[in-house]
Amino acid sequence: MRPVRFSLARVGLIAGNTVREAARQRLFNLFVVLALMLVLGARWFRDFSFGAPELRFLADCGFGAMAFFGSALTITATAQLFFSEIENRTALTLLAKPVWRAEFIVGKLVGVAGLTLLFCGLLTVLLAAVLWTREGALMQEFPDNFAQGRVVSYAMVAGAGAMQWLKLLILGALVLLVASFAQTQTFAIVTGFLVLVICHLQHLALAAYERSGSLFGMTASAAIAWMFPNFQVFAWADSLAAADFPGWGQVARVVSYGLGYVGLGTALAVFCFRKREI
Amino acid sequence: MATPGATEAPAKVPAVEIRGLVKDFAIGLRGVKLRAVDHLDLTVEAGQVFGLLGPNGSGKSTTVKLLLGLLEPTAGQCRVFGVSSLRVEARREVGYLPEAPYFYRHLSGRELVHFYARLCGESGTGLGKRIADVIALVGLAEAADRRVGTYSKGMLQRIGLAQALVHDPRLLILDEPTAGVDPVGSAEMAALIGRLKAQGKTILITSHLLGQIEDICDRVAILDRGRLMVEGAVADLVNRAGRQSLVVEEMPPGELAALRAWMEARGRKLLAVEPAGRRLEQVFLEQVGRGKGEGETRP
Amino acid sequence: MRSRAATLLIATGALAAGGFTLQTWVTPAWAVVRARQPALRLDSRAVAAGQGVTLALLGGFRALVADGTWIRMYTLWEQRDLPAVETLAHLVTVLDPRPVYFWLNSARILAYDFPAWRIEAAGGYDDVPAEVQRRVRHEQARAGLRFLASGREFHPQSPELWIEQANIELNRLVDLDAAAESYRRAWSLPGAPYYVARMHAECLRRAGRKAEALAWLVRLHPTLPVADDGAAAGLVLSRIRDLEKDLAVPPERADRPPP
Repeated sequence: MRPVRFSLARVGLIAGNTVREAARQRLFNLFVVLALMLVLGARWFRDFSFGAPELRFLADCGFGAMAFFGSALTITATAQLFFSEIENRTALTLLAKPVWRAEFIVGKLVGVAGLTLLFCGLLTVLLAAVLWTREGALMQEFPDNFAQGRVVSYAMVAGAGAMQWLKLLILGALVLLVASFAQTQTFAIVTGFLVLVICHLQHLALAAYERSGSLFGMTASAAIAWMFPNFQVFAWADSLAAADFPGWGQVARVVSYGLGYVGLGTALAVFCFRKREI
Repeated sequence: MATPGATEAPAKVPAVEIRGLVKDFAIGLRGVKLRAVDHLDLTVEAGQVFGLLGPNGSGKSTTVKLLLGLLEPTAGQCRVFGVSSLRVEARREVGYLPEAPYFYRHLSGRELVHFYARLCGESGTGLGKRIADVIALVGLAEAADRRVGTYSKGMLQRIGLAQALVHDPRLLILDEPTAGVDPVGSAEMAALIGRLKAQGKTILITSHLLGQIEDICDRVAILDRGRLMVEGAVADLVNRAGRQSLVVEEMPPGELAALRAWMEARGRKLLAVEPAGRRLEQVFLEQVGRGKGEGETRP
Repeated sequence: MRSRAATLLIATGALAAGGFTLQTWVTPAWAVVRARQPALRLDSRAVAAGQGVTLALLGGFRALVADGTWIRMYTLWEQRDLPAVETLAHLVTVLDPRPVYFWLNSARILAYDFPAWRIEAAGGYDDVPAEVQRRVRHEQARAGLRFLASGREFHPQSPELWIEQANIELNRLVDLDAAAESYRRAWSLPGAPYYVARMHAECLRRAGRKAEALAWLVRLHPTLPVADDGAAAGLVLSRIRDLEKDLAVPPERADRPPP
């Protein structure tokens, strides 16, 4: 009998269907609208600013919206899209076809990746447009401050947007890993938010591990430091100047680190899902 | 990839072969075992319509899931056309209609069938026609471009059957295909199964509605609490050897007595005289004008 | 059949092993990121776990939330809630250490407002002994200076933080030598206003270091743009003359700038 090999075409089909399903969900649209409102409304928030340069403040709001709503979207969408297949028993029909379970998991992740790419791409473009427009106005108003031309590097804005996306992709893979063995969607979502917090604080565990004297402290902090990725590695949004570009070597290392965690999370999700009773 | 049993001549390989199948589920944190399938042996020959019957909780759906590789057996094995059901390859020749199917609501009927066809590796220029054909076969041509979310229960069953058929599998597994469907829909499904049998498909149907299955199946197996209670040809199981029924117009008592005497004179015995009944389903179908053979014309 | 617990155990072990490898791989990149973002060096300042979690969840919203926290701090400032104001002042700079404004104003609150609140809470200026008042003033001034020193970790090129340091040393500690040094440091940074250079000389003069003050002003004067009123070149020349007079500098050795 002709063997059924792992097929990227089937992965693409499952991913495409996942994106279509997610894009029609109210939750996705709600997060997009809220994030867009925040980016566009940042101009009005700046009245509360105490000394942060205006463009810096606008960028903060934009990337803040991307990180906050993007994380919420990734966690809820990943868990929901996975459990809707299980609970509505569409997974039953799908996996009764000649489809590998790995194709199902990878397809779901690629779908979430597509969804978050759409989200981050949309917000990055909008944020760049807001910054460009406002920077142009400030250049007219304060020509002395822009003697060297524009101060915002839009390549840095795009890079920071890409880093946000990579971070969300890792989060998606980890939520998918949790969902692959979790019994309920609620558990997967709550754990997803916990993972998000731990990943942001992972560097503290790393520092604690490096300094810990006790065996227990070392073991506990090592477990956290090794099991969870350090999301602060992706924090590029603090600078918008081209001079602060971290260098291609640094970029390659951070990107490969992120993709490594995506691969690890996905492989383990496949491992956990392989024998799951549908 | 070497497949055990694949070298055997296809004609001799049973469509389904279940040997010593056991499935236990762990219940609760203490892991108490619940046995859903208990040492089941079953063979479905190619070309048969086979009914897997039993009350709710008898292990029918679990057996089907084991057959589709959706569950892993505790012991024993299932083979589909000689291939272990744990292998993805086993599912290439299987079309599956789940019980009370629920599909992606955002897709149209045609998109849904297209999606499953592509998953089964179907592609090329003939795919569009193939999809249109199976949709027409299940009588959904006019609703093919409507979103699945707007379909009635009966329509969901039919689009489910279309997705199960689209890759032209040799074995069809229909899990409670008439559950929750009105008698008209059930009759249409029965007619469709008859046509598929005529095409040479092997069909495995599970149901707890024994009356419906009786008319469709060649063979049946009855399960209870995961165990096989009885298995055999429908005719062998329902007919009582050495007896016949005659249906005649109502006779006055005098003529009936004469008939009884006439038979006794020939050494025969009239065992029972009772009014000839009809099934309520038959009455319903006659009243709504959709007897057998008309079902597929339903818009 | 493998149990669910065994699956989870294997997955956890694999995640830790894979994570360890990736952690090792990213260490050099993390060191660079950490060096570029002082906000991540939380170990240098005592940060309560709650603050850390807040920081983690905010992501890019730091500026917005820091501004909101600052407004909240003002409300508490009006109520003279000293512990709360101090906590929030620290929190604001943890949330967003980038605006100099937060460092500057927090240091002023610590150095100028807090002593007044503490003395009034202890019975008022009339009742609290002068020595106690002096001690409180000094304690708070030093707290303000520590805050400014933390701020300089994030803003090493900011003259404002050195100017504020000098002001506190001058007005609260009455340490003229220290103030002179801080004004000098402020003047060495780009963007420092001209009066800072004059304040350096003034502190030296008042500290009795008139010769140093004169030498400083003599070096400074030729660099001042005559057309800029803020530079006050005429005023600096007049100070030079005063110091030459005080120091009895002979006319032939006196500074003679070109007309």
